[in-house]
Amino acid sequence: MIIRLVSAALVAGFLAAVVATGLQLALTSPLIIAAERFETQASAADPALLSPASLIVRVHGGHDHGTQNNGSRDPSVAGGEVAPVWEPGPGLPRMAFTALATLVGGVGYAFLLGAVLLACNREPDPETGLRFAVGGFLAVALAPALGLAPELPGMEAAPLADRQFWWVMTAAATAMGLYLIAIRRAPITIAGGIVLLVAPHLAGAPEASHAASNLPASYAAQFAARSLGIAFVFWAVIGLAYGWAWTLFGKPRTAHA
Amino acid sequence: MSTNTLVLTGTRTNERLGAVLVAAFLGLGLVFMAGFAPAMALHNAAHDFRHSQNFPCH
Repeated sequence: MIIRLVSAALVAGFLAAVVATGLQLALTSPLIIAAERFETQASAADPALLSPASLIVRVHGGHDHGTQNNGSRDPSVAGGEVAPVWEPGPGLPRMAFTALATLVGGVGYAFLLGAVLLACNREPDPETGLRFAVGGFLAVALAPALGLAPELPGMEAAPLADRQFWWVMTAAATAMGLYLIAIRRAPITIAGGIVLLVAPHLAGAPEASHAASNLPASYAAQFAARSLGIAFVFWAVIGLAYGWAWTLFGKPRTAHA
Repeated sequence: MSTNTLVLTGTRTNERLGAVLVAAFLGLGLVFMAGFAPAMALHNAAHDFRHSQNFPCH
């Protein structure tokens, strides 16, 4: 059973990563790169940034501490390190690592989907897979995005640890809430599920500063919409492909047994 | 195939629990690596994916 789950998750993660990588490279990566250009332009006026070392840090890593950039122009402070940290080169290497990260994330999500399907005692076929995948999209993409909108590099934001904590809490609470509502289906659990769905948003996401940014608002809006769209496709493919692959890998097993 | 899922003996339930735990562990580990790992090299490699999938970044 473990072998079958792992195989199905690998297949589903791979297929979803292929689709999502294509969408990301076509739709969101150009916006990210454009946003980084704005960021670099904004800081290019500072002569301290014209040394080659600082440019290396700037081109990609300069927004690591976006809130501090105005105060501390010293690249060794702004980048957090004296030497430039490793990062994939522009162009093809960067695309390749984006694809790799998407693959790792896709397989990871597919494992989680498989674990949930099995724990809920559902036979994973494409239909059930899709149904649970929509739940996954709601839990890890839509619900966190309500509080923390998908952001481009250079947009001001609250401290990272706070946002990660809120993100994880919201995803977990939403998943639990959906489980109580959609699978348990008793009045008391539905009430509890609704509380769990709403609670993270009542508690409130870490507040983003509303300081002005050089980034055109249309970029940010477009990026947020595209990001959610890609996340939905990502999850839909994971669910459908997981169900398909699970069924596929079940066939030879019964034939031999 | 239906016999596979219908016959839920004790060992099969244990097997399922094991599979759930293994898959959950692997899944959380991979998602953490792609979405949350703080190491700068990992962050830079996964940067565009993190932004696109709305993981908190920076």
